[in-house]
Amino acid sequence: MAKSFAYYPGCVAEFSSKELNSTTKALAPMLDIELVPMPSATCCGAGDIAEAKPNLYLALNVRILSEAEEMGMDIMTICNVCTMNLRRANKMVKEDPTLLEAVNAELTKAGARPYAGGTDVTHLLWYISTEEGLAQLEKQGPRGLNGLRVAPYYGCQLLRPSSVMGFEDPDKPQSMERLIRALGGEVADYEAKSKCCGFPIILARESVALKESHVALSQARDAGADCMVTPCPLCHLAMDAYQRKAEIANNTEYNMPVLHLPQLLGLALGLDRQVMQFSKHMVPVAPVAEIVGV
Amino acid sequence: MPSTTFKIFRYQPDAAKPEPYYQDFTLEHEEKKTLLDAILDLQNEQDGTLAIRYSCRSAICGSCACKADGRTVLACMQQVEDLKAWSGKDTVQVDPIGNFTPIKDLVVDMGPFWEKVKSVKPFLMPDGPPPANGKERIVSKEDMQKLVKETNCILCAACYSECNSLAADPEFVGPAALAWGYRFNGDVRDGYPKTRAKMYTGKHGVWDCTRCNFCNERCPKGVDPRDAIEKLGAIAFREGRSMKDAGARHAKAFLISMQTGGKLNETLLVPFTDPIKAQFDLPFALKMLQKGKAPSPFPHKVKNLDQVKKLMKNVKETI
Repeated sequence: MAKSFAYYPGCVAEFSSKELNSTTKALAPMLDIELVPMPSATCCGAGDIAEAKPNLYLALNVRILSEAEEMGMDIMTICNVCTMNLRRANKMVKEDPTLLEAVNAELTKAGARPYAGGTDVTHLLWYISTEEGLAQLEKQGPRGLNGLRVAPYYGCQLLRPSSVMGFEDPDKPQSMERLIRALGGEVADYEAKSKCCGFPIILARESVALKESHVALSQARDAGADCMVTPCPLCHLAMDAYQRKAEIANNTEYNMPVLHLPQLLGLALGLDRQVMQFSKHMVPVAPVAEIVGV
Repeated sequence: MPSTTFKIFRYQPDAAKPEPYYQDFTLEHEEKKTLLDAILDLQNEQDGTLAIRYSCRSAICGSCACKADGRTVLACMQQVEDLKAWSGKDTVQVDPIGNFTPIKDLVVDMGPFWEKVKSVKPFLMPDGPPPANGKERIVSKEDMQKLVKETNCILCAACYSECNSLAADPEFVGPAALAWGYRFNGDVRDGYPKTRAKMYTGKHGVWDCTRCNFCNERCPKGVDPRDAIEKLGAIAFREGRSMKDAGARHAKAFLISMQTGGKLNETLLVPFTDPIKAQFDLPFALKMLQKGKAPSPFPHKVKNLDQVKKLMKNVKETI
């Protein structure tokens, strides 16, 4: 029986990176999971609300956790930033009953359901890269990636702070490597896979951010990658949508297709290409599809 | 007795070979051996020219930060056998800390770091004369608790060494200095909260932080500099800091989005953050539009938005 999750795609996957949302939803049955919508869930604040009004950040995120708790499910995300913000709020109130009480008083006053601390937050990558998840992929009889050379790009907030995230060693993550190999791809390893893409400051400090994304893009290119894959739509925007800008700013070329994690799974499992909406990418994905043979 | 090979970054600008290189040293040592003690053994027994800065040997002075297999550590806090267990290798690579210029081997020029720490005015600036009764300025235990993590900073620069924003913008004030900034901006005895808020949210301040969280991960003292930077942002909002900076406006756009629909309004975010740049960036915007990456200009509204609005109205900040 399919495992049900309260599905929290996050704002970027719902709006500017719709291809991530459509691919994840189409993939869910193949992974034997049911993704149940959360109609009341707001934005997690992306770190910006925490940086302006920390108590409000906490209340908003606990309200999201409470909605999932009412549904009787854990939350599944597909964004590094959402995962970190939700997990951080969860940790804060679970470790401090007085704080939880204060937040619940605000939620009650606002007509929202108080939270009892009964929800966990996971990311699709974490779920699918465990032994159980890999076994599920095996059952699908993957068509495979045909030796596609993939550079995993983790970014920051799915790994750090490890006291909040805690799924794997932030200095030598292996979850995407396991997946890539299980799907018949080759891993292009490079040091900057867990460095920052610069996205959180890309609108306010573009020149700084483009120097940050350059580090990972150039290293992935030099490692001979056919493409990069990322579990985060913000990293994806920095690496794909802003890639041409980074090329100009750093006077170089990358020509690096960047896949969302579910798209990599989709390619390997033979998901309908229409659903994966590669046409929404700035850097053409055609060379990747050609290697995989779809 | 374990044997370890140390692959150490060498740089002796005054020597016959002034270019940096790596040199391998092998050391037999007892099971419990810190990286600093191992390096000092090498210095004493194998090469007296090997340079490292250190003092207390007990994680108090903050002098001996270096990189071990790519991760910044305090050499005196790090067991050699733990490093080998982590890497699965018998060799440990030792480098100087990052984002600094090496002077000699593992010793770097700390000058820019100290200048930035000084620039945040890391001392109490009370407003007005001391209490007339001759007593000190009183601060409650609760108020000091808010600063306790930041007061633990030993200025070892492990955070600075790994800061991704600093690598891209060397003028960024950086995590340690900003943690010290919060230590005083958050102190109820300080008389210049607004002045400090302005000082810390300039061009290379709070809004330069890209939230990579390397500082929190590496700090050997649990200071969590990223959290301090976040708190400085909140103080800037509390103090009504100018919304001229694009970083502040970026955060403000999230608050407006929350108020109007509950989800991020990306159509608002871009022009609101930097209205002038947004106009010059029209070709990029059109490309995004053409690729179906420009969302609907009408804000999405979540169910029970009234709850969100009430929270926004009611929740009081305690920073």
